[in-house]
Amino acid sequence: MIRPVSSLKRGWAVLWRDNPPGAALLFSAGLTALACAVPAFYVLERSLSAGRGRWQGLLDTRIPQLLGNTLTLAAAVTLIASVLGVGLAWLVRKSDLPGRRAWQWLLALPLVIPPYVGAVAYIIILGPRGWAREIFGERVFDIFSFWGVVFVLTMFTYPYVFLICGAALKSINRNFEDVARSQGLGTAEIFWKVNLPFMRPALGAAAILVSLYVLSDFGAVAMLRYSTFTTAIYYRIDGYDNVSAAILSVALLALTLIVLGIEVRARGRRRYHQTSEVFLPPRPVKLGRWKLPALALVLAVFACSLLAPAGVLVYWASLGIARGALAGEFWRFSANSVGVAALAALAAMLLALPVVYLRSRHPSVVSGLIEKLSVSGYALPGVVIALGLIFFFSRYLPMLYGTFALLPAAYVVRFLPQAIQTGGASLNLVSPRMDEVAKSLGCSPGKVMFKVIVPLVTPGLLTGGALVFVSSLKELPATLLLRPPGFDTLSVRIWVEAGEALYHLAAPAALLIIVLSIPPLKWLLARR
Amino acid sequence: MRIIDLTTAGLWVAVIGLFLPGCGPRPDPSAGELVVYSTRGERFVQPLLDKFESETGTRVRALHAGGATIVNRLKAESRRPRADVIISNDVGALEHLRLRGLLRGFEPEGIESIEARYRALDNSWFALSARTRVLMFNRDLIGREEMPRSVRELADPKWKGRFAITRGGNSSMIAHVSALRREWGDEKTIDWLAAVNENAGAIMRGHGEIRRAVGAGEFAFGLVNNYYFHQQLREPRNNNVDAIYPDQEEGMMGAVVNAAGAGLIRGAPNEKDAESFLEWILLPENQREFSYASLEVPVNPRIEAVGEAAHISDYRVHDMPLSALGGVWEDTRLLIERSGLALELR
Repeated sequence: MIRPVSSLKRGWAVLWRDNPPGAALLFSAGLTALACAVPAFYVLERSLSAGRGRWQGLLDTRIPQLLGNTLTLAAAVTLIASVLGVGLAWLVRKSDLPGRRAWQWLLALPLVIPPYVGAVAYIIILGPRGWAREIFGERVFDIFSFWGVVFVLTMFTYPYVFLICGAALKSINRNFEDVARSQGLGTAEIFWKVNLPFMRPALGAAAILVSLYVLSDFGAVAMLRYSTFTTAIYYRIDGYDNVSAAILSVALLALTLIVLGIEVRARGRRRYHQTSEVFLPPRPVKLGRWKLPALALVLAVFACSLLAPAGVLVYWASLGIARGALAGEFWRFSANSVGVAALAALAAMLLALPVVYLRSRHPSVVSGLIEKLSVSGYALPGVVIALGLIFFFSRYLPMLYGTFALLPAAYVVRFLPQAIQTGGASLNLVSPRMDEVAKSLGCSPGKVMFKVIVPLVTPGLLTGGALVFVSSLKELPATLLLRPPGFDTLSVRIWVEAGEALYHLAAPAALLIIVLSIPPLKWLLARR
Repeated sequence: MRIIDLTTAGLWVAVIGLFLPGCGPRPDPSAGELVVYSTRGERFVQPLLDKFESETGTRVRALHAGGATIVNRLKAESRRPRADVIISNDVGALEHLRLRGLLRGFEPEGIESIEARYRALDNSWFALSARTRVLMFNRDLIGREEMPRSVRELADPKWKGRFAITRGGNSSMIAHVSALRREWGDEKTIDWLAAVNENAGAIMRGHGEIRRAVGAGEFAFGLVNNYYFHQQLREPRNNNVDAIYPDQEEGMMGAVVNAAGAGLIRGAPNEKDAESFLEWILLPENQREFSYASLEVPVNPRIEAVGEAAHISDYRVHDMPLSALGGVWEDTRLLIERSGLALELR
């Protein structure tokens, strides 16, 4: 009897490379991973328990339609946002564009505007009863169309490409460009043959981010009366047809996995290295007669993605405030928003720590799997998380179902990856030798964790918490589906008031969300 | 080892503690609380609920959502009801819930002010305001004589792209389709729905959106409840609208009428408050409020109607008794789904 036990022990030690974690650490990290896997698991389970007929019915008509709608939208937005983002990044990083230092962060600012808020702004401007119609006397552009949705989503997602590709461009050593130039290549050729290949991994990552965003977006798409998987799932859940919603969710998850698979393959195929030891900062390309058109393009993008929507919101917010939109109700909604978002942020920070620590200090297949599960939420659309939680809570925790506890739970599953990422980044800066020194001085593992690790990673965790807070504040679909009666948040109010065309009531809430989103974005930009 | 066990345990207690406030103290019934599910427009109902809250001190928690959402939610919660009162803009939904045993009858004071045909046999629900389905049009875009005379004509390709309707899950839409089924039979109704789905210029979230779109000239006309037309007339701009009551000619079915009202949930967690709310809403001034907020016509003839509303005796009305809507509610929903008219948005 001794042999199997000892070989099990041996196997366990080998699995952890002779560095197994304590039971409590493993338990808390494992539980977090399981909790994050709950929504996807139950959605899958329920979809499989739906009869063949239900699947057939949806596969025959609805799924092909939605697939067409969703894929064309994701492709169009990703393509245009990539071209725009790369172009702007090149102008700002590689050319002598006037004011390029300021543009570096000005062009990233649209990230603070949630796309559904942007959609509201553009319905006000370009909608059938919008300002454009009043100025020009007729409708210039139909915002409630495929291209309307593409336009709005592009305006608020291109900054991902701009930021990520900008960082990649900045890090390209000038030596490569100098060599290319000495071989007689022009600026355009250098872009295609040197810059673009170097940017490809970054561009790929950014494009994936944009397409994942489009797949998961609910608010902007629904407000612009377009139909994708997320809106179809939302309206099914809203009509309590949860089984059909589960089937549609599985189709959407399959689509998401395919997109992620493309990234993994693309990343694996090619590698580029910075070879030189000496890094020379890039020398700006002279734009010459292209300077004015380039500046016009940058200005136009900035106007469309930030000035116009922000201006519209400020205008309506001032009208609303003059009409008493900041009454007691408004502050109650704000308190609800801030309360659940803060709970989610706090929980995310606490839950991220064991996962990050386990992954960094006890690397193994198990800790890798735990981390992967814990960050899986970033690929799950809000509607799918909401559906999974509805299944789970109504079956196993009925006393919690229908209370506001479901909101922070959904936010944590969705946004925990952000806390894990920042927490992990700051833990990686703490050398494992610190742990060893503390242990050699007689500290128990628990003491090491709380006396050494926690103080050192607190800044990173707090940043993660701030990101989770802001993301939770903006979250719309899961909030709409999971909130208890009488519990409205700012994002819910924006949805309700904008749906009734009461823009003076929607605008103050939208502005508050935007203002609260600025500090974490500043941190993100400072890091690059 | 011991310390990490204790500290991690502490961490978990902290996490669980964070979630506790949500599940912790269930509202104390004696503190006076009322949970209302409403399928009417939030702006029409919330002021009335606020009035009740300020007059009685009972805290009202309201969930405003679509008709199908609320009905299905009540069914899903039937073993553990969370709502006390339902306010619905469709009597069919109320009767449907009653037939499913989800409502409870009682003898509210003041119920005799509502005619028997506007309330349930057991008074578990009663209607307060009536609405009629009309075709509201923009006078800049289309003349009265060009307008379709019957809702049947909406299936005609010549109207393609020119009108707006609500999604199939809208309660007024469900009730309307029930009336059409009774008049035409299922086959014809399905064909009509499929054709309308094809023809409609937009399928919108609600009637408020339709009236604004028609007022602004986005579409020539739209199928709405009559009070949305009255509301659009009161807008400072985009108010050059008119409406026709469809199917008025000899041999036609007449305009479809529905009503909005309230019902008592069986097993309501705050029963007493629910009953007092329903009696409170039957007070003449609150009946008035109920109809006036949305410019509907009060069911109680003693309550004066708003100025612009046509009296119900001025036009030909479809003869289906309102409570007949209840028995077919679910069937109609399934039929709408089968026809291809999205219950959700397109």
